[in-house]
Amino acid sequence: VLKDLQQRLTNARTFVPPLEGIQQQYGINTKLLNNIVDYWRTKYNWREREKFLNQFPQYTVSVQGLRLHYLHVKPKTQQGFQVLPLLLLHGWPGSVREFYEIIPYLTTPTPGRNFVFEVIAPSLPGYGFSEAAVRPGLGAVEMAVVFKNFMKRLGYEQYYLQGGDWGAIIAQHMAVLFPDQILGVHSNMCFANTFLSNVKIFLGSFYPPLIVPKEFEHKLYPLSNFFSTILLEMGYMHLQATKPDTVGVGLNDSPVGLAAYILEKFSTWTNPEWKNLEDGGLTKKFTYTNLLDNIMIYWVTGSITTSVRLYSETFNKAQMSIGIEKIPVKVPSACAKFAHELAYSPSTVLKEKYHNLVHESDFTDGGHFAAFEVPKVLADDIYLAAEKILAANASQK
Amino acid sequence: MGVVVKLFIVIITVLISWIGYKVNNIIKPPPLPRLEETWWGNGDPWRTDKSIRPFRVNISDKILEDLNYRLDHARPFTPPLEGIQQQYGMNTKLLKEIADFWRNKYNWKEREKFFNQYPHYLTSIQGLDIHFIHVKPKSIHHRVLPLLLLHGWPGSVREFYELIPLLTTPQKDRNFVFEVIIPSLPGYGFSQAAVRPGLGAAQMAVVFKNLMKRLGFEKYYIQGGDFGAIILHHLAVLFPEVVLGFHSNMCAIYTPLSYMKTALGIIYPTWFTREDHTERVYPVTKILVDRLRETGYLHIQATKPDTIGVSLNDSPLGLAAYILEKFTTGTNISYQNHEDGGLKNVYDYSDLLDNVMLYWVTGSMPTAMRLYSETFNLNHMSLGITRIPIQVPSGCIRFSNDFYSSDGILNEIYPNLLHLTDHEGGHFAAFQLPKVFAADIFTAVGKFEEFNANNKH
Repeated sequence: VLKDLQQRLTNARTFVPPLEGIQQQYGINTKLLNNIVDYWRTKYNWREREKFLNQFPQYTVSVQGLRLHYLHVKPKTQQGFQVLPLLLLHGWPGSVREFYEIIPYLTTPTPGRNFVFEVIAPSLPGYGFSEAAVRPGLGAVEMAVVFKNFMKRLGYEQYYLQGGDWGAIIAQHMAVLFPDQILGVHSNMCFANTFLSNVKIFLGSFYPPLIVPKEFEHKLYPLSNFFSTILLEMGYMHLQATKPDTVGVGLNDSPVGLAAYILEKFSTWTNPEWKNLEDGGLTKKFTYTNLLDNIMIYWVTGSITTSVRLYSETFNKAQMSIGIEKIPVKVPSACAKFAHELAYSPSTVLKEKYHNLVHESDFTDGGHFAAFEVPKVLADDIYLAAEKILAANASQK
Repeated sequence: MGVVVKLFIVIITVLISWIGYKVNNIIKPPPLPRLEETWWGNGDPWRTDKSIRPFRVNISDKILEDLNYRLDHARPFTPPLEGIQQQYGMNTKLLKEIADFWRNKYNWKEREKFFNQYPHYLTSIQGLDIHFIHVKPKSIHHRVLPLLLLHGWPGSVREFYELIPLLTTPQKDRNFVFEVIIPSLPGYGFSQAAVRPGLGAAQMAVVFKNLMKRLGFEKYYIQGGDFGAIILHHLAVLFPEVVLGFHSNMCAIYTPLSYMKTALGIIYPTWFTREDHTERVYPVTKILVDRLRETGYLHIQATKPDTIGVSLNDSPLGLAAYILEKFTTGTNISYQNHEDGGLKNVYDYSDLLDNVMLYWVTGSMPTAMRLYSETFNLNHMSLGITRIPIQVPSGCIRFSNDFYSSDGILNEIYPNLLHLTDHEGGHFAAFQLPKVFAADIFTAVGKFEEFNANNKH
């Protein structure tokens, strides 16, 4: 696999240069891509990275016919601490790799707290080392069922959830479907899509202070800005939701094509201003090595096609008619809102969906890939949220 | 009448007038913009070779060996989901069949001869080498009418190869015959791509106006589908003095008035639409959902062409999957329920791969896709040229599986519509049904010629 990869990187066809005066506005800048490919070919050392990836204990387990891969990291010091099982769910185009820097923070006790986490971080079905479904139907709702059964198989009847991107969506569904199992949910991509939440957003366009504090008004209004940003950034989603098997062919056959496709997201979704940078701003917050680790997980497992099928399995009439968006989340919930996350939801909008919102935080930095980009900040917020969740559950008893 | 009633009538009148004024502002066509003659290439504008140079398709062995290597070493495909044909996009069982054919049966050297059967040329227009085929009829006993044919995406000049002999051979009942000029769009195939942003459909119309001028044509007929039709709409509006007549196989209309008419038709579908065509327009929700299902490519190409372009230019099977998927559902939407995509019903794999090869050997897919982002952006769309009616004689052929505009809506943009046909067939009509296509062009131009003769001043 590695020799084949080297061949492909060395013989990649010449890239079409970007248009004059353009940075990332037409998608990935191929001058940036050239630099990354050179690094990949000459400096990136997979054998070392394998050791890095293997630093945490990993396992596989069969759930509903799929062999699922996961990391299971217990805290070193357990004496005198309450150990909270935490299921971490990644998204697209991410992987378990996004959690490698945050895991030590979560599994190491923090001063003044008597609890710490044991982390279970699976690869979503069809992603990385987890098997993919052979038949249609495995959307986000069905994945929630799979992970409930997954945790049961591991021996956990009750646990906490954390997720971003698809992980946040699946976690939200789990909290709705299995409130008896879910002690609390922390998300860095909270969202609401109920009738009333949408009414509020619409009404807010006439008088934003009704819906959103002044300092965050620009994140949502004017709505026309919001929609044109969505339109500009959602091409991949439209394509993946309708023709995943088409786009998957080229991405699984060309490592540079795969890298281009994935890294464009790590640039623009971490900070939309980076669209104006020829180097995409990536090295401000990430290292090429870390970014390539994530891409390698897609490449060596050949899982890009099955990963993008999650979009078509979720954004279709059958799944959307389940109407799970309308059902509120009653378990204690926490929302971390990072500065450059793709969409912003004000508190009053979120509360239409999260009826037990015990913690909300706004950050002046950080983007969509929060665990990867600002692991300590996210970890601190998870601890803070957990305190409030524990308190909420205690007072319920 | 009481004062109150009179006042009420006045207020209502003012309100209706105001609404009418606002609506009129929305539906009236924008003023005709003036376009620059932008320099799109790297060369020195003052020192360009303006000659027309003969060109032969002659691809190096290196490129062909590299292609074979990539086909031989293609990574294993992800199998389709159980029970699925083409509903998730390209079915990799079909792709395997095509890959085998491509590697073992498709013979590029032979195809090159096929490509070179017609004379090709290059000439530099506004800094870009534009490739084109120019075929003159053999017989000179008839009037020879110049016809500019424009392809679209993901097509190429290849789509017109079967059409060329039909158009350049005299027909029994006609006193005219065509000489055809078939360019590759800038950034497609053997035509150079722009080095700076801005080359959208309107700007391409300027390039083609200049191309025809370079070739010595004062006035000519034009024919196009897909982006070809869009570019020619711009040409007919911007330079009506050079267009004798416009035949389109994609007379699709996207104007505020057309949306209003379609919406009104929800109440009474046959208001603007023929009774036997109503299911092509209504229910509106179904049509929109169907469109949404097929336009993912348009969305990504209009926003991130350079991203998706990388993989398509590095993996020949990735490129083939992406292009051939369009030939399945674009030819017939029901082909998504066929495991083999229905392609063999209609096309030869050889012909389909000819088209794919034009993108592969020239590495032009990334620049080809940029036409979407250069056209579907605020700047270009605010020119509003596709909202300006076409005054030159026009003809539309509507194929059953292609984009559709109702009879009652066509007249907004085609007030001088002399010819309207409906026929079974798909988006790549010239490729799929060359005889039908050629016959329709002859019929339409016959009507254009009559109109032009009667309207000489």
